[in-house]
Amino acid sequence: MALLEVDDLRTYFPTREGEVHAVDGVSFKLEERKTLGIVGESGCGKSVTALSIMGLIQTPGRVVSGSVHFDGKELTNLKRREIEDIRGLEIGMIFQDPMTSLNPTLTIGTQITETLRRHLDLSRKEARKRAVDLLEEVHIPNASRRLDDYPHRYSGGMRQRVMIAMAISCNPKLLIADEPTTALDVTVQAGVLDLLEELRQEHAMAMIIITHNMGVVAETADDIAVMYAGQIVEQATALDLFDRPEHPYTEALLGALPKLDEPDARNARLASIPGRPPDLLSPPEACRFAPRCKYAGTDDCATVPPELREIRSGHWVRSAHPASERAREPVAVS
Amino acid sequence: MSEQAGVTSEPEAAQPEPSAADEPLLVVKNLKKYFPVKSGILIEHTVDYVKAVDDVSFEVGAGETLGLVGESGSGKSTTGYCVLQLLKPTSGSVRFRGQELTGLKHEKLREVRRELQIVFQDPYASLNPRMTVGDIIAEPLVVNHLGTRKTRRKTAEQLLDVVGFSPDFVNRYPHEFSGGQRQRIGIARALALNPRLIVCDEPVSALDVSIQAQILNLLKDLQHEFQLSYLFIAHDLAVVRGMSDRIAVMNLGKIVEQGPADSVYGSPEVEYTQALLAAVPVADPRKMRIRREERRKHKHVLAEPV
Amino acid sequence: MAIDERLAAERAGKQRQASFELALEATAGDGGARGAGAALQRASLWRDALQRFRANRAAVIAAIAFLVLLAFVIFVPWLSHEDPYAVDFSQAYQNPSWAHPFGTDEFGRDLFVRVALGGRVSIAIGFAATFAIMGVGITYGSISGFIGGKLDNGMMRFLDALYGLPYLPFAILTLAIFGTVNFWTMVVALTIASWFTTARVMRGQIITLKENDYVRAAHAVGARWYRVLFRHLLPNTLGVIIIFVFLELPGVVLGEAFLSFIGLGINPPKASWGTLAQDGYGAYQTHPYLIVIPSLMIAWLILSAFFVADGLRDALDPRAREF
Repeated sequence: MALLEVDDLRTYFPTREGEVHAVDGVSFKLEERKTLGIVGESGCGKSVTALSIMGLIQTPGRVVSGSVHFDGKELTNLKRREIEDIRGLEIGMIFQDPMTSLNPTLTIGTQITETLRRHLDLSRKEARKRAVDLLEEVHIPNASRRLDDYPHRYSGGMRQRVMIAMAISCNPKLLIADEPTTALDVTVQAGVLDLLEELRQEHAMAMIIITHNMGVVAETADDIAVMYAGQIVEQATALDLFDRPEHPYTEALLGALPKLDEPDARNARLASIPGRPPDLLSPPEACRFAPRCKYAGTDDCATVPPELREIRSGHWVRSAHPASERAREPVAVS
Repeated sequence: MSEQAGVTSEPEAAQPEPSAADEPLLVVKNLKKYFPVKSGILIEHTVDYVKAVDDVSFEVGAGETLGLVGESGSGKSTTGYCVLQLLKPTSGSVRFRGQELTGLKHEKLREVRRELQIVFQDPYASLNPRMTVGDIIAEPLVVNHLGTRKTRRKTAEQLLDVVGFSPDFVNRYPHEFSGGQRQRIGIARALALNPRLIVCDEPVSALDVSIQAQILNLLKDLQHEFQLSYLFIAHDLAVVRGMSDRIAVMNLGKIVEQGPADSVYGSPEVEYTQALLAAVPVADPRKMRIRREERRKHKHVLAEPV
Repeated sequence: MAIDERLAAERAGKQRQASFELALEATAGDGGARGAGAALQRASLWRDALQRFRANRAAVIAAIAFLVLLAFVIFVPWLSHEDPYAVDFSQAYQNPSWAHPFGTDEFGRDLFVRVALGGRVSIAIGFAATFAIMGVGITYGSISGFIGGKLDNGMMRFLDALYGLPYLPFAILTLAIFGTVNFWTMVVALTIASWFTTARVMRGQIITLKENDYVRAAHAVGARWYRVLFRHLLPNTLGVIIIFVFLELPGVVLGEAFLSFIGLGINPPKASWGTLAQDGYGAYQTHPYLIVIPSLMIAWLILSAFFVADGLRDALDPRAREF
């Protein structure tokens, strides 16, 4: 049994104009000590997936159906108190913007020890000692002195490290990082990613990294799930996904990435994807990517939503025209 | 088309000096911008300076793109603003088409400004939410008393077409557009005065990868069609690589390395540049371990600011 | 080459790869992309705010109450055949009845009409003073915020000093200096020490808005200061200004009522709610309606204006967006 099993998760948000199908049937498995990268552009539902797992979806949004099986427990029907017990202790989460994720009126020390004492029942002294250890683990110099500083005295990268320290403080089995590097400079970003990898090995954690940056996912993930319009459209090991991407969207994403080592980058054109993601208010009864797909023809693409199928061992695709099945030349969109 | 916004009929503004005929389009020398740090309760006095731009020099030729790359706090955006005189440089020289820009005032500056435009980073803050898209694009013409209401509207429609919109979007408001679309409107606005050089201040940093690609392609196309020069400011090295002929790497207010794009990326000389390159995430899982090793080597160069 | 020539050249047959993709997007993407994280940006800012306002029940009730009150003061004197000035001692001190819904005062004058007329005065003074406060406050705050630097510092220090002025004593002082209390002197008196908060808030707004890139863009194309201020900055403060109007109104109405009550009210025979209350004060033990009713009117105005302001604030606050 995998550490985390998500099955057909659906999370909808009611609005004035109808229900937004933010997450519409997402399933995946995560083994212990492995890293899953969930990648997609803004609005695809990746963050909402993570929040749904953690039980952090605020009303009026709600998890409509599906199951989240973590360490043998079903999370979707837990009471608030029970899920709060799990949060922090068994599943840690770090968020995107380190500037706003920390309370500016409390010292860093208070914020860390608060989490510790909530879950681990430590005395004040023990908690403080542990907090210092944590800060050292995330490579913050002068840890014991910095413990009494307020967040504004920390730089963005350091705040992110503090967030990571808080997230791993109770030795969770799973760490979810939602766009952990997006607000950071590229060198700081690399530092944070390297740190996450180091900690993952030290603490034998599983990790989910959510990002829109394919490069980040390439460097850190064992397996990757590509999301589009609330659904997973491709899922494979990192190596296989980059070697042989199947879904037209994945290919397009990879083509749109400016590459560092591109020959004649100056004159090359980036592959861009025309159009915009569909309206999740009433998702079409068809392939959601079809309007923007180079290969969508007059066939089923416009009428039949494709299922996620295993095209080869460990590699799943939701498309009627995966790369390895394309016998003909791409057809221009009519 | 001769009533078009007056641009064809105006005489050569900003007469370049004769010897400057073969001078590059933009020449920046020893540019400095220091921000005073003040202290004191009733009477403030300056205790220190933040050296945002500390003796920076570079050139941009006609039709060329100079990529100015660095992390936040490196001073790259400040440099861009100083070039446009949106911020007054503390010292140094900015020469555009042979004419010295620092010290120019009011009317003279306004004239030269027409040839130097800017595209901003934040698509949500760069368009006035209370103005129509047409008004936003035509504003440069209005402010410079160019053309009549009819010709200005025509120009706005044409510019919308150039950046890929239907001309009847002219009456829409910014909030009806997505981030990438707003950036295109910002680009249209930058083109309104027929500039020679556009400072692109992190134009794609706030956008998704696929939209980013659209905008970058558009910028390249426009460069070819209108013989534009770009001062392309960004922190994403891969993006800069694809856009630039020459690169200048900035760190803490200084340019630490400068040269043709291929050589700066292919064989970086300064360790900071090497560290930067090692830090960029690359979409190839196989290179992962090697790159981690590279980063470990350069760790000491990148002390995190406190 | 000018833009028009370049455009002509390229339209003459150059294949533009870019335009295919972009044109596709332009035609395909009309509705906004409503992904999980995107707020509903389609509706116009004002329409969105109106919808939010309408969803706020307290605010809607308050708005209706406010409008009812306005209707009352506008239409009643117009439609009634009672002469508010006719003195008829035989009718004096009548309790509220069908003939006189609010009763009569010591002179036999119908209170219903008098209260409506008084309402006109009170509300007129209220709005006039509010707009005066807005005028002074916005001007002061905008100049200070826009120019910035030492001038801003100086103006704000001065404002800080002014904050120490007690509002009512200064109003009284002003009326004393004028010697007479009429509509205009009352407006001035109420404005003199009430515009400080407005000035401060406007300054804050201008300073925040100044940081927006579209202001920099205006500078970059050569816009002069007045264009930046009047075209870019002030229009974007409209929301705040409207809220402030409804927030200041109760204050000045109450201020006028208080001044009237202590005898510094508008001279008879013109009456305001405050003077009516003061007139009725003497008889409050025997005929309480003479003071209660005008006071209730004041309370009605204040409460409805306040809740409308509250509703407006919620409606216009972008962070209150629902998913």
